[in-house]
Amino acid sequence: MNDTQRYYAGLDMGSVSIKAVLVSDHRLIASEIVASGGKYRDAARKVMDGVLAKTGIDEDRLAGMIITGLGAESVPFDVPQVSDISCQAMGIHCLFPSARTVIDIGGQFTKAARITPRGRIADFLMSEKCATGSGRFLQVIARILQVKLKDIGPLSLTSEHPVEFSTNCAVFAESETVSRVAEGAKAADILAGVHRAMASKVAMLAKRVKMEPDVILTGGGGEDAGLALAISDALGIKILVPDQPRLTAAFGAACFAEEGVVQQTLRGRSSVGP
Amino acid sequence: MIFAGIDIGSTMTKVVMVNEQEEVLASVIGPTGAEHRHLALTVIDEAVRKIGISFEELDFIVATGYGRINVPFADKQITEITCHARGIRAIFPGARVIIDVGGQDSKGIKLDSEGKVADFTMNDKCAAGTGRFLEVIAETLGVKLTDMGALSLTAKGYVNISNMCTVFAEHEVTSRLAEGAGVPEIVAGLHEAIAGRVVNMVRRLGFEKDVVFTGGGAKNIGLVKAIEGKVEFPVLVPPEPFITGALGAALLGKRFVDRGMTRDRERRLEGVTFFS
Repeated sequence: MNDTQRYYAGLDMGSVSIKAVLVSDHRLIASEIVASGGKYRDAARKVMDGVLAKTGIDEDRLAGMIITGLGAESVPFDVPQVSDISCQAMGIHCLFPSARTVIDIGGQFTKAARITPRGRIADFLMSEKCATGSGRFLQVIARILQVKLKDIGPLSLTSEHPVEFSTNCAVFAESETVSRVAEGAKAADILAGVHRAMASKVAMLAKRVKMEPDVILTGGGGEDAGLALAISDALGIKILVPDQPRLTAAFGAACFAEEGVVQQTLRGRSSVGP
Repeated sequence: MIFAGIDIGSTMTKVVMVNEQEEVLASVIGPTGAEHRHLALTVIDEAVRKIGISFEELDFIVATGYGRINVPFADKQITEITCHARGIRAIFPGARVIIDVGGQDSKGIKLDSEGKVADFTMNDKCAAGTGRFLEVIAETLGVKLTDMGALSLTAKGYVNISNMCTVFAEHEVTSRLAEGAGVPEIVAGLHEAIAGRVVNMVRRLGFEKDVVFTGGGAKNIGLVKAIEGKVEFPVLVPPEPFITGALGAALLGKRFVDRGMTRDRERRLEGVTFFS
């Protein structure tokens, strides 16, 4: 490690998983993801220790750090916060300067944002009222099908006859899945059907923020190739997916730290917008 | 003469038989399974046995409910909106607004002064505000669906449930439990949430006296109280809220016969086994 190099940390406290990244010169140095397990404080400590251990950098040597995400209030670090959607936009802007729309599909919520050429938020919407557009829908169906989350995408891509659900409600789709399985429907076709239902909901959100290309898909949903394809079909355009779609908000937080959006560590925990 | 109405709902199948005087001779309720056709016959068979006649002696059969097309031996199929309206008017002649909370949908029906359907509204797209919502959460709480009403009456206040989506509400209920909220207070909160959703939907039709609450949801005294708290008129509940659709179907069958319609073909029974 170069002693004169300056390192910045970004911590994203999501509803399901917590992500930490170290960045130097807007490049990703190391990352770590742990499940929140509902214990934000312990998980935050664990994920920071993990990412520092990977690089052998002392916490004291961090030149800056910013926290974001749903659980940002409950962390044991006295560092400033920036909203997750701003961090998401910043992270995406650094990775894809041509990005104008970000769709983030997390464990609980789905968000769509239109961003400016400078990576700031122009418009933003979140789907929190209905599980159909969220990762929860997939989790519920995958549990019935006994398919692991990481296998959902590849399996869905093999579907030849996606199931068409009679409603888009996750609860009704759950019982419909049980009857379709009993009738002999393939898991691949059911998952592809779920992907289509989700994609139609996500597309509505993207259209409401007046989506413009390039469109980037982030969050855990970005790791699901079947979902990415369904969204691309529903929007009728090509979408881009970062290498590590779950890390982009944490990356953006670290980039904010590096840009010195917040000049110094504030006493207490105040929310700081870019 | 005997007229039968059969209402195949998403969770329960109901049969009612009436005579020429429009008196109820028998009513039978059974769970709707995957085999609608078979169940329809089983339930109707039980009803004809109750009054000591044979299936062939039924003068007219009307099927209603979402599974109505799966009743091949029915002489006519009529939508549940029309049947509910007819059934409710038989019990409450002054009914103008009907709130129906079923297993998988909820509806509002507005009747004109003659008892004809003037307008209706319905949610069958999403489990929010339906019996299904309560069913899912009852399971999470480890409470029997039929105990929810009585349990909620013991609550001291209620826990505010902010998520209307069943999936998210399930999660919210688990968190409230973890924080130490009482089960009766949570159940009371769920009833408040469903009542709010359903009453808002029906309010678009305009509330007018008499307001009647029917469907499986009306069996839940906690939900009845919660709905009453949100409607500016007293809410009437039929003695047997499950069977108003089937009753209406039977009564409409009688009206068809009164107007000279007869069953025009042999009832198709092939492929069906009667239980004895």
